[in-house]
Amino acid sequence: MKLIEVTSLKKGFGNLNVLTDVNFEVEKGDVIAVIGPSGAGKSTMLRCLINLEKVDGGTITVEGESFVKDGVYASHEQIKAVTRKMGMVFQNFNLFPHLSVRRNLTIAPTAVFGKSKEESDALCESLLDKVGLRDKIDAMPSTLSGGQKQRVAIARALMLNPDIMLFDEPTSALDPQLTSEVLGVMRALAADHMTMIVVTHEMSFAREVANKILFMCDGMIVESGTPAQVFGQPKDRRTADFFHNILE
Amino acid sequence: MNMSEILTTTKALLQGVEVVTILFVVVLIASIPLGFVLTLLSRCRIAPVRWVVNAYIYVVRGTPLMLQLFFIYFGLPYLPVVGKMLVLSGFSSALVGYTLNYAAYFAEIFRGGLLAVDKGQYEAAQVLGFSKAQTIVRIVMPQMIRVALPSVTNESITLVKDTALMYAVAVPEILHYAKVAVSRTANPMAFVVAFVIYLIMNTILQLVFNWLEKKLAY
Repeated sequence: MKLIEVTSLKKGFGNLNVLTDVNFEVEKGDVIAVIGPSGAGKSTMLRCLINLEKVDGGTITVEGESFVKDGVYASHEQIKAVTRKMGMVFQNFNLFPHLSVRRNLTIAPTAVFGKSKEESDALCESLLDKVGLRDKIDAMPSTLSGGQKQRVAIARALMLNPDIMLFDEPTSALDPQLTSEVLGVMRALAADHMTMIVVTHEMSFAREVANKILFMCDGMIVESGTPAQVFGQPKDRRTADFFHNILE
Repeated sequence: MNMSEILTTTKALLQGVEVVTILFVVVLIASIPLGFVLTLLSRCRIAPVRWVVNAYIYVVRGTPLMLQLFFIYFGLPYLPVVGKMLVLSGFSSALVGYTLNYAAYFAEIFRGGLLAVDKGQYEAAQVLGFSKAQTIVRIVMPQMIRVALPSVTNESITLVKDTALMYAVAVPEILHYAKVAVSRTANPMAFVVAFVIYLIMNTILQLVFNWLEKKLAY
């Protein structure tokens, strides 16, 4: 079953065309790594999927329902209903600094979706267990390391039980030694068959965890395939050049 | 001046404390929310709304509070047609004037606080399903208040001192009683007592705000 279908996505900022023509599909259980040089439009593409950026053209369909069709957006309610199926993790964590870890996780389920405190607390505890931060439940975000913040952010996104998780360079703001704890949590999610789209510069993660690679350049997906295909026998010259440059 | 005379003077001045306290509390409670509404309106999508609000803030901050009080107390009743309905007592004029004046200052303070809230906070709230109003109330306002609090403290201390301007619209307050006492006793002691009373009020205020800042720290 196709979880996400993106066709002819276009997006510009003023005179700059960031996305010229993006097309791809996501199957249930896919772990997709989006790689490519900076300025290729990777983050913009991801942000369009969850309506943090408005597209200029194209169609985005999630589980059979579109929230933008040929560049025309659906109603506010429809957009909310469709984007709700996705959770998002940001490069800069974006935890709420004035709330404890527990409150960061439970505020959306309780205050926005009317879940009971008991139910949310129980889910919060089990998800913090999952990311290895059960003991930080009453800590304030400012007391956590970057890696811990990002793991809390992942748990927070999981609180709303999304079908798809979007990761926007989740380890780019972290020290190398903190990267592995975050990637570890993401590996565990992938092993649980969570559908994931990950914009990343971590080539080893892309190679080992992803089942599909999208290589973006100049606002398009210039190459896609399994890690073995894309890393092993890149067909496009730009892909080959990119690997050549980062390996030097 | 002996001890009992100082006591009599202090008692006289304390008559002014009540009216000062009421003005302070009412103005603070009214002008802080009003100021926040002005902040939101000054970022409104409809341009004429922004113009009106910004012009209002510009005029209020650029003219003396005393002139504004005079305008409300002495000026409004002379307006044609509606003037007769706008005859306010000195104290009512003060309540209206101070509230409108302080709301403009608070609007600017909150605008600064709002700018300090990271764009990522709005995005995180959006992807978690928060509506715009929920984002403002639950995510943005608590962070904005934390940033704005030191300036709010400062403004509140100024408000305590500005209450002395009620003298201009004939509301008997601390300064008025002090001046009467000095004339009666031919001794500046009453002014010294007034100094002390203002200092005590501001010390209490500062303690309250310090406590609040600690409580809201994160």
